[in-house]
Amino acid sequence: MIINCDDRERIFLDGSSEEWAAFEQHAAACTLCAEELRAWKQVSAAASELRDYQESPALWARIESSLRQQQAAPAPRKSFWSSLDFWRHISPAWQSALVGAMVVALAISSGYLYTHRAVSSVDRGNTLLRTSALAEVERTERDYMSAIDKLAADASPQLNADTPLMANYREKLLVLDSAIADLRVQAGENPSNAHLRYQLLAMYQEKQQTLQDVLEIKR
Amino acid sequence: MGSVGLALPWEHKLSSVARDGERRVEPFEGKAEPVRISEETPQDAAVAAACLNGSLQGYERLYRWQGTRMKNLARNLLGSQADAEDAVQETFLKIQRSISGFRGQSSFVTWTFRILVNTCHDLRRSRVRRKEQVNEDIDALPPRRELRAPGAHPSLRMALERALKRLTTHQRDVFLLYEVEGFRHAEIAGMLAISETASKNTLFQAKKNLRTMLEPPRSSGAGAAQ
Repeated sequence: MIINCDDRERIFLDGSSEEWAAFEQHAAACTLCAEELRAWKQVSAAASELRDYQESPALWARIESSLRQQQAAPAPRKSFWSSLDFWRHISPAWQSALVGAMVVALAISSGYLYTHRAVSSVDRGNTLLRTSALAEVERTERDYMSAIDKLAADASPQLNADTPLMANYREKLLVLDSAIADLRVQAGENPSNAHLRYQLLAMYQEKQQTLQDVLEIKR
Repeated sequence: MGSVGLALPWEHKLSSVARDGERRVEPFEGKAEPVRISEETPQDAAVAAACLNGSLQGYERLYRWQGTRMKNLARNLLGSQADAEDAVQETFLKIQRSISGFRGQSSFVTWTFRILVNTCHDLRRSRVRRKEQVNEDIDALPPRRELRAPGAHPSLRMALERALKRLTTHQRDVFLLYEVEGFRHAEIAGMLAISETASKNTLFQAKKNLRTMLEPPRSSGAGAAQ
């Protein structure tokens, strides 16, 4: 396997064991890559300084006592979700049909929210998802993410090509992934905020479009 | 400036940690590799089943198995031993409250750490809010002295802790979960509700940033003495 300096970042990001071995060989003869490799490995090595697995002798006793107290407290009312146990007894075909119906409902409710937002900009700060809508949005989002991951897997061979164009696409996808990750953290902190969901959706769509562009080039 | 860079003689300062057989792509000298626990261990299923049955022994097994690791992650996320212990306690209470919702879609450990990370973020936010209310300056407080593991290198550790604070929340979470606690990207993806690719990308960015922050400036002769 031929590895050169241009492969360094890609291997640091997600190189296979064969690529790492080839890169080590390359670094033995390349001062710059040897230095980069040393620094990269030392960041990981430094992480061990943050490992401190000392026991706290009194902690379990404290936890156990609070668990006992909570167990002894009167049981809370049965939650909505636990009342959905019937779900397990439904056949997979019906489950699929019900999921399909929920997705349609989600699309309609999202459309309603969107148009409502477009018409009334005064209420923009109060665009909050209700709990049921939120659960549906999160479920659909997970499915969407998984579909985009599949697309990313399809585009992966093309993306790994050593061309300036693909390097640009890789960089763009890195930026998008980072933005998506940050938005997801914000959405996690403020789950009912519909604006964050719209921003996330826009990012997902951009990523999907980028991957489709990469696949188009393949053809 | 007193900055601690990566030029330190690591080999004499880093403690070694045992590791299991999971293949890790990045090459290491075997000194700082964290323990990687497979998602599909029978222990995971057994502990989950015991907790689902409402047995306190199940929770105790979970604590004996993962307690110090949970506390370590919480301490690195929150910055103090006392807050870390509160976070671990709160996590166990949340597990007990929501154990009936555990469907086994991820490993029990992954599920537990997802709750722990969220609990730490909640605690951090409430702590910041509290401090804002009483108008305290966090930096003005004297740093708490914490017990350290034997052999730890305090200045390197402090430099790392400072550098970690400058990462984004997401980068810090992924770096700590992967590099310090030894979780795999698939497990981290489950904990943080992101894709495996996003976990890899975030780790890459985190390490790039940490490297820049920790690497001493390329010295140009004796100018560093100034």
